[in-house]
Amino acid sequence: MSSDPWIWIGAVLTLMIFSFLYKDNPFYKFGEHLFVGIANGYYIVYYWQNALKPNLFEPLSAGQFIYIVPLLLGLMYFTRFIPRISWVVRIPIGFTIGWGAGLSIPAYFQADILRQLEGTVVTPATFSNPANGIWAVIILIGVVCTLIYFFFSREHKGLLGSASRLGIIFIMIGFGASFGYTVMARVSLLIGRIQFLLGPWLGFID
Amino acid sequence: MKWYDRITSIDRRIIYMLLTVLVILPFFVNVNIPQKIMPQTQRLFDFIESVPPNDKAVMISFDYSPQTMPECHPMAQALLKHCFARGIPVIGLSFDPEAPGLALDALTRVVHEFDSLAAGKDDSLIYGVNYVYLGWKSGRIAAQLDMGESISGVYPRDYFGNLIETLPLMQKVNNYKNIAIVVILASADYPIDWIRYPQTRYGVKVGAGLTAVMAPQYYPFVQTGQVSGLMSGMKGAAEYETLVLEHGYARTLGTAETGMNSQSMIHILIMAFIILGNVGYFFSRRGKRKGTHE
Repeated sequence: MSSDPWIWIGAVLTLMIFSFLYKDNPFYKFGEHLFVGIANGYYIVYYWQNALKPNLFEPLSAGQFIYIVPLLLGLMYFTRFIPRISWVVRIPIGFTIGWGAGLSIPAYFQADILRQLEGTVVTPATFSNPANGIWAVIILIGVVCTLIYFFFSREHKGLLGSASRLGIIFIMIGFGASFGYTVMARVSLLIGRIQFLLGPWLGFID
Repeated sequence: MKWYDRITSIDRRIIYMLLTVLVILPFFVNVNIPQKIMPQTQRLFDFIESVPPNDKAVMISFDYSPQTMPECHPMAQALLKHCFARGIPVIGLSFDPEAPGLALDALTRVVHEFDSLAAGKDDSLIYGVNYVYLGWKSGRIAAQLDMGESISGVYPRDYFGNLIETLPLMQKVNNYKNIAIVVILASADYPIDWIRYPQTRYGVKVGAGLTAVMAPQYYPFVQTGQVSGLMSGMKGAAEYETLVLEHGYARTLGTAETGMNSQSMIHILIMAFIILGNVGYFFSRRGKRKGTHE
């Protein structure tokens, strides 16, 4: 069993959080509140020390007065709390949206639309490996049918209805895969905690 | 209470108890459930294999938080072992504020393991020559784009406060032209920014190691080649550990491989509960329908 007090603190807090599985209790509440408090404290100190201080206040104190511009833009967000001048908040929001849209729209088109469309194109070269060819056709059918499912301008009847129903199957398979991966992720976290309790704390495993 | 009603109303505490027992059991009983290497993990491994030693560097963006350590930390260690064993320089950085401590832990552990096996000083890993950790940076997208021009412009100093130009490795690495691939180990949606911005503008190769929750979102990018390889959750980490061991780049497996036996047992249990729940639901619905007709 570990003699390191930090390992003990980690182990006891883990057990406090796990106690919720039986039912809600003061030990769980204590662990939860402690976590929220520490996380907030960590982020405040971290951003002050690693973002605000080196990127704003140090250059300002060194006489680089151009940094007054981002400082003012940042401060304008706080005008939300003063109803009389709350309209000022539109200036930094406009700046952020303008910068974000200008930067993101071409990048989104390129990475999320054009390259993804390319991925659905089936050419004779795709069939150089028959298995790849079959998968490419399945992807193409999946994309088309899923898009048809979200096409609401005509009633889903006849061919459109059949394609839409096939689209639902593809969507459901997607949801199933996501759910399976989510289960795997959550179980991994439990395994990690159990490895910590059995290893560094109790010393039963290496 | 009918049998089908009973199986649809099992006390959740019994389920938790069974889960806990099945997680613990494989650590004490020799259960060896074989794992198949998934193609996307193999692709990442093959890509790192294709990088010539002492040439371009591999950039690893450590962007995971402590709660996802069981999935991402073994990935980081396996990837670092692979790079170091092949003589590929590594540049680490982070955009997640919780990640720097974990990045340093992974680097320290792997460097210590390599140095303990080194025959002499020439074989050991030297900070600044074989690897560098740049630390955390705010303004993620701007920083990622600016590194396409100059890494030292974004990171004038490394995590420890050393001037970048004093580090021999960083004298050879100016921007993405000197980077073979950026591998993002993440528990949040960080890799998409690397795909949208530095890849679109500078053609940076992107690999990823993600928590299992995020993995399905990135499969379309693997299919189009925008992501050159992907480790998905603890399974991906275990697969990479196995590949690294099989190719003689490590002496032992990591924590992900041992955890996968528990993972497989739990999956069998969950599948059994899903089947039981559905059987119970089917019969209880039929029972209710019969009751209505009678």
